[in-house]
Amino acid sequence: MFPYGGTAPRTPNCDKVDLMKLLLRTAGLAAAALTFTALILPGSAGAKPWWKRGVESNEGDFLDPDVAFRAASRVDGNMLRVRWVIADGYYLYRHRMEVKAESPDLVLGEPSFPKGTMKTDPYLGTQEIFTQQVEAAVPYTRSDAGAHPIQIKVTYQGCAEAGLCYPPISKVIFATSGSALPTPLAKSHPWEGVAILGGGFAFLLAGFLLRKDRHLDTPAA
Amino acid sequence: MKVRALRLAGGLLVVLFGLWAGLRVYQSHTPKRAAPLAPLAGVRVPAGEASPPTPSDFDAPFDLGVGTAVAPGETASLRIPEHLPEFSLGGRTGKPTSITTWRGKSLIINFWATWCAPCRHEIPLLQSIRREWLDRNLEVVGIAVDYRDKVVAYADELKISYPLLIGEDDALDVARAFGVDSPAFPFTVFTDQRGEVVALYVGELHKIQVDLILSVVQSLNQNRMQLPEARHTIAEGLRSMRTEQPS
Repeated sequence: MFPYGGTAPRTPNCDKVDLMKLLLRTAGLAAAALTFTALILPGSAGAKPWWKRGVESNEGDFLDPDVAFRAASRVDGNMLRVRWVIADGYYLYRHRMEVKAESPDLVLGEPSFPKGTMKTDPYLGTQEIFTQQVEAAVPYTRSDAGAHPIQIKVTYQGCAEAGLCYPPISKVIFATSGSALPTPLAKSHPWEGVAILGGGFAFLLAGFLLRKDRHLDTPAA
Repeated sequence: MKVRALRLAGGLLVVLFGLWAGLRVYQSHTPKRAAPLAPLAGVRVPAGEASPPTPSDFDAPFDLGVGTAVAPGETASLRIPEHLPEFSLGGRTGKPTSITTWRGKSLIINFWATWCAPCRHEIPLLQSIRREWLDRNLEVVGIAVDYRDKVVAYADELKISYPLLIGEDDALDVARAFGVDSPAFPFTVFTDQRGEVVALYVGELHKIQVDLILSVVQSLNQNRMQLPEARHTIAEGLRSMRTEQPS
């Protein structure tokens, strides 16, 4: 029997063992939860074994054209600046790039492009291409300024160096005003709130439920 | 003991809920988060990452569904049919020709266009493959998604010996029948003699890839391999070729 009729006094070693047990238990639970989640989530690793899958293609080797090539425009004084951002390993053909007016009161001049790179292909000959990023300056006039937003139609066509070409793409875009293009805000996702609340709640409740059923030993007076 | 088990079960449920919610956000949110807009010069967009979104992307009135940023490997999978779909397109002279003309043969169906450089690169390879495999009941069929006069002129110039089917919107419909909704060129479909779709290859083909696929098709035709195993062998073989190739 120990003094005060209690259990054996806790030692630092005893605390370490308890902590290890708790850590192992939590790790086990987390591993089980991850496995379970991977099995139930659609499209996750445990979706379909290979012998049940259909034809697989290598489409994932290439970017979606709207990711590989992005176009935007802004107003800069009496010029429209049209910019294409091109992913690494992709290029746009200069002779396939066009900018046309879409707004009824908008008249566009000839776009001026910087000098591109000359690409020689044994089957298509030598052509001017752009990689990474290119910006064209397009003079414009408006007969009815302010009545309509400036809308232009951009057309472009490009390829991946790895051997894939996208058909010509045409897009109608608005030209934003101002000297600097604003940074778009990341939209919050409806699941974000659920995740934050769920995670916090899970953390607190798991700690509460998994705690050891012991009271703190108060030091003897 | 019972209370302890209940506590553990409760804890497990709560942890599961937290993990599930977190994973849902990770899967659906991470690839689409808007990145800061690039400065006007010197932007490098690494392959495999979405280009920076622009104000026009967010303001434009057109359907943004087309332009949703997706990284490679995260694109919606093609709905590739199990069997060769039936279709007809005009041949070089414009006469409608059905794909069933070549029923009972293994097929290499190559979608291409005259404006596409890698498509042009492939044509000599396809010609030589056809010559090499002609006595093994294989046919190459080119489907040109382009203007007929341009295709015929180019085919004459290159003396393309394999059958050509030509179309514009109707050829795009055929591409869709193979699960390719917004085609980029070239892409090539391989079928066995039973008309089972064995592989769909996106991008310029090289001999090493064609040899791999055709050897598997040959095994299928000789009943030395089952279809799921054949598809898996091709997918794994192509994957290992990609990892071996320097980027």
